Amino acid sequence: MDLNQVSYHYPQQPTLLNEISATIPVGHILSIIGPNGAGKSTLLKLMAGILQPSGGEVDLDGQPISSIPRKQLATKVAVVSQQNDIFDDMKVIDVVKTGRLAHHSLLATISDAEVAKYIQATHLTSLAQRPLSSLSGGQRQRVWLASALAQDPTYLLLDEPTTYLDIHYQAELMGILKQLNEQKHITIIMVIHDINQAFKISDVLWLVKRGEVVKVGKPEECYDRELLANIFETNIQIVDVPHYGKYIVEIPETQAES
Amino acid sequence: MTKSEKIWYSTILVMLVITILFAMMLGASFITPQQMMTAFQGGNPNQLDILINIRFPRILSTMLCGGMLAVAGAASQAAFRNVLADPSILGVTSASDFFILIGTMLLPAFPASKFIFSILGGLFALLLLTRGPALKSPYRLIIIGVAMMLTFTGFEQLFANGFGGQTTGSFNGITWSQTEVLLFLGVSGMFAAVVISPWANYLKLSTEQLQTKGVSASMMRLALLLVVVYLSSGVSSVVGTVPFMGIVVPNVVRYLVGRDYQTIIPLSMLMGAWLLLVVDTIGRIVVLPSELSAAVIMTVIGGPFLILMLQRKNFNGLKSS
Repeated sequence: MDLNQVSYHYPQQPTLLNEISATIPVGHILSIIGPNGAGKSTLLKLMAGILQPSGGEVDLDGQPISSIPRKQLATKVAVVSQQNDIFDDMKVIDVVKTGRLAHHSLLATISDAEVAKYIQATHLTSLAQRPLSSLSGGQRQRVWLASALAQDPTYLLLDEPTTYLDIHYQAELMGILKQLNEQKHITIIMVIHDINQAFKISDVLWLVKRGEVVKVGKPEECYDRELLANIFETNIQIVDVPHYGKYIVEIPETQAES
Repeated sequence: MTKSEKIWYSTILVMLVITILFAMMLGASFITPQQMMTAFQGGNPNQLDILINIRFPRILSTMLCGGMLAVAGAASQAAFRNVLADPSILGVTSASDFFILIGTMLLPAFPASKFIFSILGGLFALLLLTRGPALKSPYRLIIIGVAMMLTFTGFEQLFANGFGGQTTGSFNGITWSQTEVLLFLGVSGMFAAVVISPWANYLKLSTEQLQTKGVSASMMRLALLLVVVYLSSGVSSVVGTVPFMGIVVPNVVRYLVGRDYQTIIPLSMLMGAWLLLVVDTIGRIVVLPSELSAAVIMTVIGGPFLILMLQRKNFNGLKSS
């Protein structure tokens, strides 16, 4: 996937993303990090084809995303968005099955067996027949992930997948993503707020500020105190934690001086 | 099929068969099962005439309309993502009635004219409902719908003043030829609804989610709404408005078997057929020698039902997760 001078602004709003050009290497885990309002989620929506750029182009296999039919695009790019409300209620397995619609006619009956592997990969087997409304936030997030995986995508886009999850579910979800990337070679692109998680799991990081990609690099290249402090506009320390490695912490100005 | 689905399918079928039997027996003249046998063997031409030319078409058309209205209700609830959506509450049927009235007043009758005016009225109402901001809030949709229903009903009464012969939601005096029209419209419309019932489930996902899965929400919504208009206009053009069927039946079915539209739609069809037959049969016999129309009885049942649903503590305008 390539971004060619992609710009975006919402109607009657100032420019949010300014001529971003970058290439997303296949098979990597890419995390987009940056402060709120930097345009991260918008960037993800442009890559998903949900929004059309105001300028420039997002290309997939050398073809502009906007020219690829919806259904075909869905077999290549899947999205787990931040807001996943449903109306009414649905069984877990039926939500997962909607991911297969990209591969079938709209009136096809999709068998339970066809989605079993996606349910297994996301540790949902025991919950498959339960209504979505009876699940916890972390479990629901895995259901949407399973539904996205059922599209058999080359690119999996996630918008703040861990935001509402406790530390246990966060680790579990990251484990699943890592496994998908290693075993199925799915390219993972995510917007994530927990920078330490991003540094730990990713192959590539994009540091975004005010609609521009300020830095592209491997995590080890991005452990840069000044750079991070500049991006998040706060005082940053990088410490060494035994059995973990480098850890980024935010320390308020006053305490840092004392 | 789950256990509760099996239980309710068979329960409703049995109730339907029993009710059909009662509906054949009861009326201005009571016909016992024995007399029925005699009549069918040619022993009583008078009673045979009552059975074949009065009670049969009435029973069949009542069941068809009940099924059609209940299915139209379920489909519109899916399309509008609102369990309160129902063609009669949303003003779709009163728009149909009004258009039929205007059509028959202004233009000479031509084949299927009533059905065509009815469809046009229904589409007009849907256009008004789907254009504005009504879709965004479940309550606003219902309020706008009710306002439209009252408006169209008011206009209808205004114009109908001194123009008699309007259909009123009663099955009294229904003929075989009317029943045949209902049979054609009902079977084709309900078949279509069952075929596209998976779409009713898919529409529980947001438009954006469906988009990323390569599916067009608007296309599925449009298809469901066309089925809604087809079914409810079919009933309106033959018998007029029978209110609340589309809200009472699918919600009871939901309570019984859950939220899967592939079950809700066929089961609503059966339960709608049963309920309207019960209602019409009661209406035929409670105030003999006169009768109460199915529409009046449904208003009495459906009004309180709607109020109860709205008052329920856990009714939150539909979002369950």
